[in-house]
Amino acid sequence: MASQGLDGGRPLNEVFTGRATRSLRRARIVDRFATGLMWAAALMLVAVLFAVIASLLIAGIPAFSPEFLFTPGTFTNPGIGPQIWCTFYVLFLTLLIVVPIGTGAAVYMSEYARPGKLTNIIRFSTESLASVPSIVYGVFGSIVFLVMMGLGYSILSGSLTLALLNLPLMVRVAEDAIRSVPGSYREASLALAGSKWETTRKVVLPAALPGLLTAIVLTAGRIIGETAPLILTMGTTISPNAYYSLNPLSTGETLAVHIWVIKIIGLPGVPNSQAAADGSAAVLLLMVLVINIFVAYFNTRLERRLRGAAPPPRAGGSKKVGT
Amino acid sequence: MSPQPITDSKQGVVLGQARTNGGMSQIEIEARDFNFFYDNGGFKALKDINLRMPRHQVTALIGPSGCGKSTFLRAINRMHDQTPGTVTQGELLFEGEDINRAEDLIVLRRKIGMIFQRPNPFPMSIFDNVAYGLRLEAQGVRKSEINDRVEQALRDAYLWDEVKDKLRHSGLALSGGQQQRLCIARAIAVKPEVLLMDEPCAALDPIATLAIEELINELVKNYTIVIVTHNMQQAARVSQYTAFFTTDDSRTGQLVEFGHTTDIFTNPKDSRTEDYITGRFG
Repeated sequence: MASQGLDGGRPLNEVFTGRATRSLRRARIVDRFATGLMWAAALMLVAVLFAVIASLLIAGIPAFSPEFLFTPGTFTNPGIGPQIWCTFYVLFLTLLIVVPIGTGAAVYMSEYARPGKLTNIIRFSTESLASVPSIVYGVFGSIVFLVMMGLGYSILSGSLTLALLNLPLMVRVAEDAIRSVPGSYREASLALAGSKWETTRKVVLPAALPGLLTAIVLTAGRIIGETAPLILTMGTTISPNAYYSLNPLSTGETLAVHIWVIKIIGLPGVPNSQAAADGSAAVLLLMVLVINIFVAYFNTRLERRLRGAAPPPRAGGSKKVGT
Repeated sequence: MSPQPITDSKQGVVLGQARTNGGMSQIEIEARDFNFFYDNGGFKALKDINLRMPRHQVTALIGPSGCGKSTFLRAINRMHDQTPGTVTQGELLFEGEDINRAEDLIVLRRKIGMIFQRPNPFPMSIFDNVAYGLRLEAQGVRKSEINDRVEQALRDAYLWDEVKDKLRHSGLALSGGQQQRLCIARAIAVKPEVLLMDEPCAALDPIATLAIEELINELVKNYTIVIVTHNMQQAARVSQYTAFFTTDDSRTGQLVEFGHTTDIFTNPKDSRTEDYITGRFG
């Protein structure tokens, strides 16, 4: 039923359904086409992501068993217990170095450094370092940590190398997170007679925490997935007397390196070593997923507590999937 | 200060009524030939400002956009130190001492609080917002005092009754007007001597604005208040003294006229003041 216009004249909806001009029609078609294109791109992304997750899990999960996940590999059992342990240990050691230094540098760059030549040089260096291939860091690490510092092939050498590799990314993302804290928070704190340090520690860093966690997650993902620099600095085996060891000077092998070893060399004597590789890949994927989901959950709760409301919906309204 | 609800307060609507506290009061803030530059002296924002703001009175800074009134306000607690390239000339005195010679900004800002144009509570609970200043090193407040001081500040800002049951809720969940009163509570919790207000009602609706204005009329008993406002009625309602700023062709701000609010609004000496307050320009 057509509603009447205010003047009681022609029906109101006729105003909007009058004949469209040619340019208007064209604009409408182009708009629909563009919307469809973006939608297709987003759909493709989701589809690829699901394909990756599904195929890895389907291939890998059949290999899962308590022996596989929790015991060392033997000639009959391709167990990856020590590799999982080593992965977490390297992750922990590397983050222990990267997070404080990266956050500190980011705070300096965003809060303390005055715009100028020096700041520009630091920023340019950071960006350049971020684009250096990881194998180059491996070579650097093997020169400096293995030979010059005499640490040899060790978990410590590997972690130090990974720390160098990941610092530029950490600094960059953390700096973005800190910069996105509204200036009005800083002004409010300074006006209350807060020192710069108090302002940074009590207002800026807590407000930047969700962004900082994102930076840590990105870094963690790269640490877990890195192979080339670790092969050059940490080795490719774990000696039986260093299984589940906390000794940072023993050699080590993360899951990612383990997959590489299986694919290139194979496990001596183990008939189904490809299944072990698939299983390791599935474990790696699950580790990354769990870390991401945990941090996303934590961030949402944090956001709700700080703002007293649900976080604003993500742009586009589509659900966040996986990583 | 009585914790009576603000809606009962009837005072403060008399045009430019000067508060009497023993003749011409003590001068709290004074500018002597004060000049201010941005861009390492490249842009002169304020020229030869001479101004004496009395203690425990409200002084309103009015004038067209870009006349330098906010720049002047922010010079009083040296917020400009945040901006590289700002330069001052002449004297800006607080209790007889030159603000720009103050070596320790923390000492200065302990005595001069500030309320900003947009309410800017921290992303913390209501309680933590008010306690923030009290917990700072510079304020030296004992932990055992904090609860009482927070409650007193919220009462003084007429916010206590609205928030007493949700002190642990986020300050950002309050309405705009409540957020601004939270910011005022946060500022007065540390007991400054001066409150600088940079268009504190610009982002608020008329009812929230009225609440803030009535609060200002209460606060002036204990604080020296300097308020920047674009709203002439507001200047007339809340202030005892008014300073009218304007700009010249080079966009440099200057003080045209300063005096009792009553005089500025009923009997301006300068034709530019008259044009502005009667709405002929600006």
